[in-house]
Amino acid sequence: MKTVFTSALLLVTLITFGQTRITGRVTGVNGEGIPLANVILENTYDGTSADAAGNFQFTTTETGEQQLVVKIIGYREFRRAVTLNGEPLTISVQLAEMINELEAVTISAGAFTASDESRRTVFKALDIATTAGATADIAGALNTLPGTQKVGESGRLFVRGGDDSEARTFIDGMVVLDAYSPSAPNTPSRGRFLPFMFKGTSFSTGGYSAEYGQALSSVLALDSKDQAENTRTDIGILSVGGDVAHTQAWNGGSAAGKLQYTNLRPYVGLISQRIDWKSAPASIEGVAAFRQKVGRDAMVKFYGNMNNADFSLYQPSIDNTGTKYYYRQQNDYRYMNGAYKDILNDQWLVRGGISYTSVQNTLMFDDRHVLEAEKGVHGKAVLEGSLSDKVELKAGAEVIQRNYSWDADSAGYGRNQGFDEVMAAGFAEADVYASNRFVTRAGVRMEYTSLTGQFSADPRISLAYKAGAHGQVSLAYGRFRQTANNQYVRVNPNLDPEKADHYILNYQMMVSNRTLRVETYYKRYTSLVKYVDGDASQLNNAGSGYAKGVELFWRDNKSLRGVDYWVSYSYLDTKRDYLSFPYKAMPSFASKHNVSIVGKYFLQVIKCQLGATYSYTTGRPYDDPNSDVFNGGKTRAYADLSLNLAYLPRPNVIVYFSCTNLTGRNNIFGYEYGTERNADGLYNSRPIRQAAPRFAFIGIFITLSKDKSVNQLPSL
Amino acid sequence: MKTFILIAVLMLALLSAVFANDRYTEAMQKSIQAIYQAQTIPDYQTAVNTFERIAAMEKAEWEPVYYASYGYIMMAIREQDKGAKDAYLDQAMKGIARAQVLAPGESEITALEGFAYMIRVSVDPGSRGQQYAPVAMKTLSKAVAMNAENPRALSLLGQMQYGTAEFFGSATTEACATLGKALAKFESFATDNPLAPRWGKAVAESAKAKCR
Repeated sequence: MKTVFTSALLLVTLITFGQTRITGRVTGVNGEGIPLANVILENTYDGTSADAAGNFQFTTTETGEQQLVVKIIGYREFRRAVTLNGEPLTISVQLAEMINELEAVTISAGAFTASDESRRTVFKALDIATTAGATADIAGALNTLPGTQKVGESGRLFVRGGDDSEARTFIDGMVVLDAYSPSAPNTPSRGRFLPFMFKGTSFSTGGYSAEYGQALSSVLALDSKDQAENTRTDIGILSVGGDVAHTQAWNGGSAAGKLQYTNLRPYVGLISQRIDWKSAPASIEGVAAFRQKVGRDAMVKFYGNMNNADFSLYQPSIDNTGTKYYYRQQNDYRYMNGAYKDILNDQWLVRGGISYTSVQNTLMFDDRHVLEAEKGVHGKAVLEGSLSDKVELKAGAEVIQRNYSWDADSAGYGRNQGFDEVMAAGFAEADVYASNRFVTRAGVRMEYTSLTGQFSADPRISLAYKAGAHGQVSLAYGRFRQTANNQYVRVNPNLDPEKADHYILNYQMMVSNRTLRVETYYKRYTSLVKYVDGDASQLNNAGSGYAKGVELFWRDNKSLRGVDYWVSYSYLDTKRDYLSFPYKAMPSFASKHNVSIVGKYFLQVIKCQLGATYSYTTGRPYDDPNSDVFNGGKTRAYADLSLNLAYLPRPNVIVYFSCTNLTGRNNIFGYEYGTERNADGLYNSRPIRQAAPRFAFIGIFITLSKDKSVNQLPSL
Repeated sequence: MKTFILIAVLMLALLSAVFANDRYTEAMQKSIQAIYQAQTIPDYQTAVNTFERIAAMEKAEWEPVYYASYGYIMMAIREQDKGAKDAYLDQAMKGIARAQVLAPGESEITALEGFAYMIRVSVDPGSRGQQYAPVAMKTLSKAVAMNAENPRALSLLGQMQYGTAEFFGSATTEACATLGKALAKFESFATDNPLAPRWGKAVAESAKAKCR
């Protein structure tokens, strides 16, 4: 019995002596306690959680050399070797902050990013589809953001004193050569790509990444959706046509096809138009999309779009009343885009793709024919990744090969003019985080163009600093270049690219569903195309110009229950001396003040989503040949109040109605003048106006799928 | 006396062997109890920490990762900040992916994945509903298909169906039937796994109570 007692005592003693007590405190670099970190004695069951002040203590029966590991979300893992021999240990644990995309500062100068996934976006993908007045047009919705100028007769994006050709569209990183559907002279065109195809939209009004070239003013980068989750069939019955689409989904992939027919003829027959249509626009469009996951982390995407459009009209002569000219346009468009993305490991990913665009325009002015054709191939490969959590790297190479031809059947309009261009580029960019609060992005883009045979290197630099918990300041500088427009290069293929320098200062504050952005910029244009002594057949790069301005954006979906609204204001001061301009003047597409107010409200009781947009733009310059001052005229202000309504009677049925310019305001975009003086020695004028005061649209969208809750709301 | 010592030694040996085997089960049961009693984010974080320590030791078991993920989802529900909510859900999804490798075909893990998607939607229903609601629905249906006896899969599916019906103002009959089935399965739920999940009954009851 004695022996048993002794051994038991010995055992107890052993246990007591075999225990090591470990205490300590978990702190950040500034000594502040970090609560609730997981304190682990590696490869044992022993450990504990730190308390609210960061203090911890636990005992272990383990002995010898062990690893103490401390971890918690948002910080780097802490690791230290400890020797356990029964002696109490006190360990102070200092954790270094991990740079993560959730907390870290982002570069916001010039950038409006819309995504459903990312948390720090000002603009959501769905916003594009539900903005009143935009009628589900991407450019229409983006035109309510600061930095854009409303040019009602064009419908395209005009950014910060730049014309529509300076804003380029990219799908999955691949360039789109002609992003807008054709439209009659002085009527707005629509984008060729519907917003519902995309999960993310990144709209930059300046200072963008070195990845994007051949854009002077703006980049619209669209990120297409991954594979569809549900097999479904969508039917749309519209007041201007109809469409049918089918999506087949399988595990890891999906395929979709859509056929759309649009015909404005019955509509223009019903509602009187200021345009003397011979045959109003009609088009047939086919779209195909395919997505397949390859292996664990790779994805192949294919997208193809074919469109055939045709319209004709009569344009009355300004000089001789009663005389009218015939105009017809047939447009044949094909776009194909294949993209590949593979996540190599936790740090690196590769992506690449190839796109092909073919546009053929057959134009008829009276009895003259013009055949205009452009074909382009774009190939690109990019490697992205992180060297550490503080340094992110992106590098890539691309080639764009283009062929453009213009052939008119009468002299003086250019016979067999055209050119080939090969543009090769390489780019590299690094994001360096000094902390979660401060990031620097530095990049360079090198380009070679076969037109001039010259190499160029353009720097891009941005900084962002998080000033408080919610606010941040961002600065950007970059140099951008773009081959001159086709119509000028065909006349003089030796033209240099046009250039722009952007300087941007941005402040952004986001507090729980409220966003405030203030941005100011200066943009300098050089090497713009210029007529030599006013002669359009003699072109050089002597043009130049500038744009500067201040922009405000306020978005709030918190203050009023169920209401989401935003207000944008842009002030623009721009002048340029290019093309036929006799001296520096404000171009006719520019306007000094642009205001947009967009509101959305979901009325649960009647299952309706209501949206309204009000836009106001001060007068735009126009050139009156009866005056000595170039571009000295000024139109009256433009204003528009648009409304839309989506009604969901059943989960799979949507009735959609929209109407632009509810008040029927007579907006004037500019004036056209005759070519000869009239009896009074003056040139006759004619205002450029909307084809009809309002445009009303009604559509019924039906979705058939096994899952009854799926509907087409995101596509509206 | 000798016999007594022999028996005592034998019993001690046996006990320690059992103790070693059941060290995992015991640690888990203690932590499971703690996570079911957790109320606040710190409570959950403490419980999650324990599960993560166990998971680091027992690399072949799915339950520790499962419960850690469950804890992160509960933290996401209680957190106010949207960014932090998403960070918790990211952690949960990582754990769920690991658990699925360890126990492929386990309906409980798939049900938890569906739950995570449900909470993803709730972070920003306006813009995420269209994308994640169908994914949540599909994942939960899959969990039910994997094990029709899983009350949690049925209950979560019923809650999703209820929310969708309510949003569109359509009949909640189907949702209520699913919730009714879920409640019946909570009663009949039987498993020989002492660590099997048992949560969700109270929420199912209050969801069912809305059905009239």
